[in-house]
Amino acid sequence: MIPLFNPFPIVCADLRRNRLLVLVTLLLVALSVAAGIAVISQERALRQGSARAADDFDLLVGAPGSPTQLVLTAVYLRPQATPLLDGDILEKASSTRGVKYAAPIAFGDNWQGYPIIGTIADFANRGGKLMPTEGRVFRQRGEAVIGAAVKLPLGATLSPQHGLHHDDDDDDGDHPDHAHAAMHYTVVGRLPPRHNIWDNAILVPVEDVWAVHGLPDGHGINDAQRIGPPWNAARLPGVPAIVIKPDSIAAAYGLRGQFRNPRSIALFPAEVLNDLYLTLGNVRDLMSVLALTTQVLVVAAVLMALLVGFLARRRQFAVLRAMGASRRYVFCVVWIEVALLIVGGAVLGLLLGFGASMLLSHWLQAQTGFAMPVSLGASEGFLVGGLVLAGGLIGMLPAWLAFRRSIAEGLTVG
Amino acid sequence: MSGALQVRDLSLRFSGQQHALFEIPTLEVRPGSSLGIRGPSGAGKTTLFHCLAGIAQPSAGQIRWGDTDICNKDAQALDRWRHRQVGLIFQDFHLIDGLSVLDNVLLPAHFDAWRPAAQLRQRARELLAEVGITAFDRMAAVLSRGERQRVAFARALLFQPAIVMADEPTASLDPDHRSRVGDLLLALARAQGATLIVISHEHELLSRMDRNMTLQDGRLI
Repeated sequence: MIPLFNPFPIVCADLRRNRLLVLVTLLLVALSVAAGIAVISQERALRQGSARAADDFDLLVGAPGSPTQLVLTAVYLRPQATPLLDGDILEKASSTRGVKYAAPIAFGDNWQGYPIIGTIADFANRGGKLMPTEGRVFRQRGEAVIGAAVKLPLGATLSPQHGLHHDDDDDDGDHPDHAHAAMHYTVVGRLPPRHNIWDNAILVPVEDVWAVHGLPDGHGINDAQRIGPPWNAARLPGVPAIVIKPDSIAAAYGLRGQFRNPRSIALFPAEVLNDLYLTLGNVRDLMSVLALTTQVLVVAAVLMALLVGFLARRRQFAVLRAMGASRRYVFCVVWIEVALLIVGGAVLGLLLGFGASMLLSHWLQAQTGFAMPVSLGASEGFLVGGLVLAGGLIGMLPAWLAFRRSIAEGLTVG
Repeated sequence: MSGALQVRDLSLRFSGQQHALFEIPTLEVRPGSSLGIRGPSGAGKTTLFHCLAGIAQPSAGQIRWGDTDICNKDAQALDRWRHRQVGLIFQDFHLIDGLSVLDNVLLPAHFDAWRPAAQLRQRARELLAEVGITAFDRMAAVLSRGERQRVAFARALLFQPAIVMADEPTASLDPDHRSRVGDLLLALARAQGATLIVISHEHELLSRMDRNMTLQDGRLI
């Protein structure tokens, strides 16, 4: 039977005596782990958040150009000099077989920084799947349904300002400013949170956006108050993007092929995101290698410090042995001290990294409205587990040296 | 009588050296008596001390403490023997600064138990009181040298060892304390009925031993 012993009085005394060294070691290990955790969890959060934001956009159609630009424009509301699709393509998309709805996405205005997006009611409620938490979606011109994060009550009225953002003051001179002032939207509904930039959007009938900018409204002269399809192709202005909801997966692929032609591009946002993820993945891999290198360096530095500490304490271990402590006892004292530092640093680093990642996501969400759900996954587990395992093994080196050393030799150390 | 020492044909020769550091044909110490060993620096006193305490292995010979031949015991058995039968005292005390006075005395009890038994804790307090230390919770780091050595005495006597061995126990103390600490060591060992072996240069301390021997030129005379 192995006799029970208690190495913790010595371990605690040693850690107490070397408070500064313990603190510095814990911080070094913790910071190196935190950096790795933050990189991995942020990359995953960005991936999950961006994928979630694209859930509402089955098939995107835009003018020929950059697919990434089209996704950034329509999904993440980051338009930059987006070329316009010819209006008749919207009419064609709306009337094509296999399409549940084809929604124009028209930008250009904001209210106090909240982007005003012209679209159709079917997109606002995602074909009836997204029920407003308050009120209803717009049914007529002059009505607006707002995202969950827009600070307006139902019944409030607002006038659009030109520009997608509050501080945009570009005036291209091709629209009458007085038309903005004359336009009033009444808030009739609030959508549930989507945890993306669309929570900040004010959705209005696309006809109003066109009218404010002096463009035809897509309907006949006698249908001035009509909203949504069917459209009059001859009176449709250009649109930056069309979101198509296909009625089946097969239809989605068919429609993508159909609208991939010299006049338009069609894509699944997931395709573009996959390319982005590949790039992100490469960056993540690079950052992971850097984090791992940092950890290896930190562990090496810790090992050196511990070996120096061990050499300085050879006599203490010899005295313990001389007083009757077994080799196992001294081995445990040394190993537990090293393992505690590494495990403590790893756990602290895990908490620090997770906390930093949460703060960063929170800040990014506040800045962009883009939710980045932070979670801990297997990669972080492997990172921390690997370090703990390495620490456990590293701790064995000085412990083994203490185990093997002769007592007389240790007692004669000056 | 585990405190009776019998040495036969003991010698220690370092590898590569022609002459033995010491050769001791015979040495006997009665249980409960005291033996002082002196000698010039480098004579091998500390190495002899280590051999007698089972810390170092001699090149040849036999060391018996009572019925125990410590030259033929494995490391684990020697650890257990030292733990229970030998109280060691060093010149530099070797207290653990991060522990209280009481925890320092109880430290050896953690070598084979998770928590010292209540009677052992009580004995530690009594020993500390005997050596004149009553602030049990004071940290060892703040003690004077004299106080540290007295705590080291208490630690060495925790398990009522049959053998107490001290290597230069008063060398680190100022002259005022030497005499008092020396008296205390002798008194404690006698009160416990322990065999006391002291390595020292201190004439005053050695003069109070039952017997004194000198290690010189490899001979103990």
